[in-house]
Amino acid sequence: MADNVEAIQKSIKWYFIIGFILIVFSGLTVGLSYVELPTHSLNIIVGMILATIKAALVALIFMHLSHERPLIYKVLAFTVVFVLALFLLFIFSHGDPLEFPGFYNPVE
Amino acid sequence: MDIPYTVHARPDTGLYNAKIGVWLFLASEVMLFGGLFSAYIFLRVGADYPWPVHDLDVTLGFINTVVLIASSVTVVMAWAMLKLRKFGWYRINMAITVLCAGVFMFNKTLEYKAKFAHYAVKLSDGTFLTGHLPHGYQVKFGDVTEFAITIPVKNSAVTADPVGYVLPYIEEGTAPKFKTEDGKEVTLDKATFAELRAAALKKAEAEKKSAGTFKLTVTAPLKFAAKPSEIFGYTDTSITFRDGTIATGKLIDDKMTLEVDGIDARGVAQPDNSLAFDHRYLPDWQKAFVANREHHLAEFEKNYPTRDKARSATLQKESLYFKLHSVTPPAEGAAHGEGAKHGAEAHSPTAHGAEHGEAHHPTVILEKKDITFFSNFTPKLNTYYAIYFTLTGLHGAHVVIGALVLAYFLCFDNKRLKQDPEHLANRVEVGGLFWHFVDLVWIFLFPLLYLL
Repeated sequence: MADNVEAIQKSIKWYFIIGFILIVFSGLTVGLSYVELPTHSLNIIVGMILATIKAALVALIFMHLSHERPLIYKVLAFTVVFVLALFLLFIFSHGDPLEFPGFYNPVE
Repeated sequence: MDIPYTVHARPDTGLYNAKIGVWLFLASEVMLFGGLFSAYIFLRVGADYPWPVHDLDVTLGFINTVVLIASSVTVVMAWAMLKLRKFGWYRINMAITVLCAGVFMFNKTLEYKAKFAHYAVKLSDGTFLTGHLPHGYQVKFGDVTEFAITIPVKNSAVTADPVGYVLPYIEEGTAPKFKTEDGKEVTLDKATFAELRAAALKKAEAEKKSAGTFKLTVTAPLKFAAKPSEIFGYTDTSITFRDGTIATGKLIDDKMTLEVDGIDARGVAQPDNSLAFDHRYLPDWQKAFVANREHHLAEFEKNYPTRDKARSATLQKESLYFKLHSVTPPAEGAAHGEGAKHGAEAHSPTAHGAEHGEAHHPTVILEKKDITFFSNFTPKLNTYYAIYFTLTGLHGAHVVIGALVLAYFLCFDNKRLKQDPEHLANRVEVGGLFWHFVDLVWIFLFPLLYLL
């Protein structure tokens, strides 16, 4: 843990660098959202990848998850599994056996 | 009894207790927001209308993003300064964090206010007109002389209460005199209505009817004005109020005066012949609309020659959702005047008209029969605004609560700061973890709601 004085003094510089990177990435997200990629889904994927990188930086550096005790990782492992399950719930909305012929495929 | 392990780590977990506590709490918060993000996915894949992209104020959203990131840096700096025992810097960083929360919420208020005042009106052919209602929207009745009042004998959800549901919508004049069926003249208030009500119920019970009914007439005809949501319904000759009272009169006006700032013809089979360009409404704008559409189609063809035009949601929006920035359509062929700007103006959200607000938009008077639905930009309008307000509202509540906690540490924890700074540092770390989580949620909210 970054609990000793030296480690904290070293990490201060990093807090500002990460803050700067986060702002640059936010600007990049805004800019890229105006670029017309081949499909809008690609825009969404690129935007979400950038957001995930930003979220990871906040979690790892600001929330000190880069050097935390094992117990907290165990708690978060469960959270990650369940929240991913939540995000994938929408698949069931395609689950009508009478109407659903498989995922939409534009290239016939 | 003191809570144990607030300063030093518990030997078996290696952590001070509050830290485990806040991480368990954050895990549950992740599930709370996860459920709502899941709802967002459901609503988006199931949306039967063009999902709004770049419809919110991106500049304001970006400013708020920067503000939250800055506050995340300062809150972690506040913790670091406390660890290094630089109390002055701790205070400064904490104060900036709380200030950032204030700025964020101020911007949020501006954003919400604009949405509440902005309206979308769906016409019968599927066109959406967006704009402002400078005078609100009211249905007006005149020559109202008679009121039929019904009071069910049994307890009922709807029972006559004209004092609360009818009298407030009388447009002008002082308290009118009412005449009962036996010729008595009364001014209607709670006490006199209670008497009339009791008499009617007594009569109904004697006659074994399910409801007591009586009529009230007025000597001088009354005028009524009410929002459609304030009354139950109306015809050309009668209004039904929400308490079941039916008034007989004459419909004067149910037209809607709208200052139009946008024509969204994405839901129309033939956008060029949208009802918006009817001779009663905005016929002069049809040319500008077509020119704007052609302009965007040509640009798209030039930039992306291989793409399918029908599958670009952005192109659909740019070519069929036309923004109006002046009272009259831009003149054609005026090479150096307003006309020269028109191409850029048509798709630039910050064009000059936007700065001056509603005063620079044409006004139309819409007939009731042409309106199928209208709403301000609130959850009622569509599922996008429903999830937008749910997510940003809940996030805003987290910003306020986080700021209150941090402000408490800054203002009311000075004794601890002097006597036990290590304990305060742990408190600030825990408060800071919550604050970073709030920032983390915004990192996903901003692109999902504003940009993509």
